[in-house]
Amino acid sequence: MPTWADRLLPASASRLAMLYGLLFAAGVAALIASVYLLTARVLERDVDNVIEAEFDGLRDDYVTGGLPALAATLERRSGSWGRNGAVYLLTDAAHQRLAGNLTAWPFATDPTESRVEFAIIAHEARRATTHPVRALLRPVDAGHQLLVGTDVTDRQHFLHSLRMASAWSVGLAALLAAALAYAYERRITARVGALAATCRQIMEGDLSRRLATHPGNDEFDRLATAVNSMLGRIEHQTRAVKATFDSAAHDLRAPLHRARMRLESRLADAHLSHEGRLEIESAVEDLDRVQDTLATLLQIAEAESGVAGGRSERLDFGALTAEVVTLYEPLAIESGLAIEACCEAAPVFGTRQLLAQLVANLLENGIKYVPRGGRLRVATTSDGQTVRLDVIDDGPGIATEFRERALTPFGRLDRDAAVPGSGLGLALVAAITRLHGGQLELADSAGGGLWVRCVLPVAPPAQRT
Amino acid sequence: MRLLLIEDDVDAAEYVLRGLREAGFAVDHASDGRDGLFKATEVRYDLVIADRMLPYLDGLSLVSVLRHNGNQVPVLILSALGSVDDRVAGLKAGGDDYLTKPFSFAELLARIEARLRRSQTAPDGARLQVADLEMDLLSRRVERDGRAIDLTAKEFQLLEVLLRRAGQVVTRTMLLEAVWDFNFDPHTNVVDVHVSRLRRAVDRDFDRPLIHTVRGAGYMLRAG
Repeated sequence: MPTWADRLLPASASRLAMLYGLLFAAGVAALIASVYLLTARVLERDVDNVIEAEFDGLRDDYVTGGLPALAATLERRSGSWGRNGAVYLLTDAAHQRLAGNLTAWPFATDPTESRVEFAIIAHEARRATTHPVRALLRPVDAGHQLLVGTDVTDRQHFLHSLRMASAWSVGLAALLAAALAYAYERRITARVGALAATCRQIMEGDLSRRLATHPGNDEFDRLATAVNSMLGRIEHQTRAVKATFDSAAHDLRAPLHRARMRLESRLADAHLSHEGRLEIESAVEDLDRVQDTLATLLQIAEAESGVAGGRSERLDFGALTAEVVTLYEPLAIESGLAIEACCEAAPVFGTRQLLAQLVANLLENGIKYVPRGGRLRVATTSDGQTVRLDVIDDGPGIATEFRERALTPFGRLDRDAAVPGSGLGLALVAAITRLHGGQLELADSAGGGLWVRCVLPVAPPAQRT
Repeated sequence: MRLLLIEDDVDAAEYVLRGLREAGFAVDHASDGRDGLFKATEVRYDLVIADRMLPYLDGLSLVSVLRHNGNQVPVLILSALGSVDDRVAGLKAGGDDYLTKPFSFAELLARIEARLRRSQTAPDGARLQVADLEMDLLSRRVERDGRAIDLTAKEFQLLEVLLRRAGQVVTRTMLLEAVWDFNFDPHTNVVDVHVSRLRRAVDRDFDRPLIHTVRGAGYMLRAG
């Protein structure tokens, strides 16, 4: 069951970085928006409190001196607009001005709330300017209404500046987040890229290479350290296995070599009888057969143990197969077989000589077992994920129950006892396929013959450097 | 021609030494890597044959040291290690050729000759010729006695190798390496079939054969 983090982590570093950048920018935006709204609220309440206090003062005038006292106070304060932006208007029931520094009822329709906002046009120094006003409108008695307000131009200006500052902050925060996300993404990509490049070199056979670590000892360094210690162990084991193979090869081949040289030098003897010569020649042939079997067995063992194939390269398995076909075609024709080859480009990562040997063994098998007049079809294809080699003949085939055995060393079928061969050919093909991370499959062909299907992983696209 | 054989297997060395001396070479012998490096540095040899596994200093290190010191003497590496990787490592260390034990003496001799004797180069970079057989490398045409000979691409390449090494033995494995760049040992006579097809094309209609089989060794192209 993948957790939330599991589902998130496979996302590429850039997506992760972008996500964090967005979260950061959104957080900053939310913070600044709430600061703005709170500030606006506080300012509004301040204004309302001042107006309310003033209204209460005027109401006291009305209570003590009636309407004339209130009107007198308002007249006294008629110059207050210029001093502190205060606005007053006392009207009768028909909204006609009785007193105050407003010249007329400012509303087209009667406001439904007591707290109102509207704009007035003030004529100062022969210039008309529009001012926003916030006011309290309440009746003082049954027939009269009093409006007390104040100019809120400064507050509006302040809020406008605050809005601008907020917008800039959010914009800068987003920019900063984007820059950080980009830098983070670059860093991750560079670290992962460096690790991947080293891993590729190690896969190409340089087992002595190690992943780079930095003094910082971050997650990547811990990963690299763990991989390095694993590589150290693999390298040690590979060396040990290789050393075993080397001594085995040396100890078996050196005496064969001495024996062959000894026999060959006897052949140079001019006094050698004809029978003696024939005997020595057949002994040399036997030695060569032993050497051949030994070499193939060592090759299988090395391939199976993963020691071989240390020097892999990117190559076109299709072109290689076509090249092997040119080698075997005349022999096939001589054996009365027709070879049809259709080799599409098939990029793989592997060892040229081993893969050529693989194709050669399959073709040799076909030539050996398919009767005259038969047909041998060879094809390579690639589907982007895997590449495939098909070798299809219309020979005797291999019954299902013997197929597994046919892929093991010396797993020859009894019926083939008369055909010369070591019984190692298909085993080597299977071992080379496995070494290259592929799969070998034996099946029936339409004509009852053998269909060998060798599927290898496709090589990743060439590195841009 | 003076050769140096560095080989710790005394028996094997003795046969090789005798064979090479019979073939007309002056051969010195060193039985370990240190002695071999000393001799190869002191004497100007025409070719060094070095076993890969040697006491004191192994064959690959020996070649590396020689190359590092600017010594470009051709080196043929003999080895009981026959895997693809071993061969590549041998050539990478600076060896010119790599021969896996056991080998036939004829194979060794052919490869020594191939290193020592200059191959025929086309004087004007375009034509190779032996007797009445002519190969034009640019137009990729082959004529014998003025008559055009039709060859497949691989037959052309085979004939080119034989022409360049005219008068020398070219073994089957050498042909396989030169024309296909394959180092594996085919269990069948694939190369022979190619050569016999080539021979049909080149020699059949003429009295004097040019492509000769050298028993137990390989092929040789020569006039007469």
